[in-house]
Amino acid sequence: MAGFRLIELARPFAPLLPEVELPYEKIGFDDKVVYTIIAALIYVFGQLPLAGVVKDTIEEQGSSVLDPIYFLRGVFAAEPRTLLEFGTFPVVSSALIMQVLAGLKLIKVNFKVRQDRELFQTCTKLFAVLEYVVLANIFIFSGYYGSALTVFQVVLLNLQLVSAGLFVTLLVEVIDKGYGFASGAMAITTVTIATNFVGDVLGVNQLPVDNEGHFEAQGAIINLFQSMRASHKTFAGAIVGAFNRDYLPNLTTTLLVIALAVAVCLINNFRLELPIRSTRARGVNNVYPIRLLYVGGLSVLFSYVVLFYIHIVAFVLVQVVARNDPSSILYKVIGGYASSNNLLYVPQFPLSLLTPPKSFVECITRQPLTPIVFSAFMIVTGVWFAGLWQAISGSSARDISVQFKEQGITLTGHREQGIAKELDKIVPVASTTGAVLLALLVVAGELLGLKGKGASIIVGVSCGFSLLELITAEFQQNGGQSALTQVLGVTGA
Amino acid sequence: MAKGTNQFERLAEAPVEFVRDGTAFIQKCKKPGNKDFLKIVRAVGIGFVAVGIIGYAIKLVHIPIRYLIV
Repeated sequence: MAGFRLIELARPFAPLLPEVELPYEKIGFDDKVVYTIIAALIYVFGQLPLAGVVKDTIEEQGSSVLDPIYFLRGVFAAEPRTLLEFGTFPVVSSALIMQVLAGLKLIKVNFKVRQDRELFQTCTKLFAVLEYVVLANIFIFSGYYGSALTVFQVVLLNLQLVSAGLFVTLLVEVIDKGYGFASGAMAITTVTIATNFVGDVLGVNQLPVDNEGHFEAQGAIINLFQSMRASHKTFAGAIVGAFNRDYLPNLTTTLLVIALAVAVCLINNFRLELPIRSTRARGVNNVYPIRLLYVGGLSVLFSYVVLFYIHIVAFVLVQVVARNDPSSILYKVIGGYASSNNLLYVPQFPLSLLTPPKSFVECITRQPLTPIVFSAFMIVTGVWFAGLWQAISGSSARDISVQFKEQGITLTGHREQGIAKELDKIVPVASTTGAVLLALLVVAGELLGLKGKGASIIVGVSCGFSLLELITAEFQQNGGQSALTQVLGVTGA
Repeated sequence: MAKGTNQFERLAEAPVEFVRDGTAFIQKCKKPGNKDFLKIVRAVGIGFVAVGIIGYAIKLVHIPIRYLIV
């Protein structure tokens, strides 16, 4: 091993970072389901408010720093001003980026050596925790939690955000290490997105909406019925209001989100069925499906990771360095932030080119270039990632052909040597085309003004599908004596 | 790896070819029938909403907690 290797940097930290032990014995199907769900629910429960944040009155909020990444939160299950300010972003991004770097051979890892694999894992975890620290301090020093924080408050906030981050990292690791179903970040994201979706549609909690003391329900459907009965609104006004209130989820966005979810379900089930036959037994014919969404929702996740980095760097430059001052040069070059509804920080041109608009009308009238730049960004990053990922993730054309050889199957009408070549014509096309379709769906949803809900439901549903696939595979193998299924009365998934 | 960059170059050089390959692939794909599709949507919908309701119930617990500690 000549030269310097980046993963060696993690070696001194390896004993310091807490680590989840691999399970001693095989975890049963029921236990896995329970582990996965409980871990995700613990995550949801962890969205406790932060202590030590300066409480602004409404008037002051107009001038203070607001949420600059509101449209990215859904995808990473991040809740503003809670312990999970950054959600799973550091975990997801560090895992994806380290894998990509390893795939591009920028980090030299020999995955066949156990020690290397362990170092790589530690390195990924270290990177995630580091990201939590950096992000926490960016937000603290930008004035997001209040402008004049005492040293004690800074330390307290750091402590909360970073330890919550470390906790999330470990929670993900529990699932990843075989206690639950595959990717922990995926499971957590899916459950959180489902939670938010239900909250947006059927949420019964009442939030104050104006200064006169009126309350409205968070859920769009609940709100519809509630405002029909409310005395301070006309009947027609209530229905119109339920469809286009912009401070809380409305029925229009709900319907759009459902439409997107159905669309993802549809293209998730597009598959190319390759006829295969056994080389050992005669007359045994079957099909091998190649899914259109070969890399699943990961391509969208990757695009959003890149988007997050761009917006965080811009936030640092504009807010922390230039203090969002319209006269500074950074503000002019990158674009500043304008506050909206006293809740969100909306980026201005040119940063707005990579920001989904708040509504479709605003998109046409105020950011006519955004659709072009944003879709181009999503498609290019998505396709690049999908092309790379299918090659490095252990399910590339070559890997499948090796599998075929081991199991003694071959493509009908091809010699064994030709399988890899034939698959190589199909797999990259499938993954990149799937990435383009998903990117287009995300773009369509976001440009209609879903403010991150579109992207999150797409990631949620496609991750849900990946999980479902793993669960059914596991179920078919050893779910026979599962007590859970007997209780729930599921007959063969 | 090399394949990834290749892919990228090919995309930059010939997006037309890429689109043609893609549409051809989609046309060759097996699509779920109406009945299957409804079944899938229903299953996924029920699962999604069920998990969501459990999660949302937990979130409701947060409201009193917030009053207590904030």
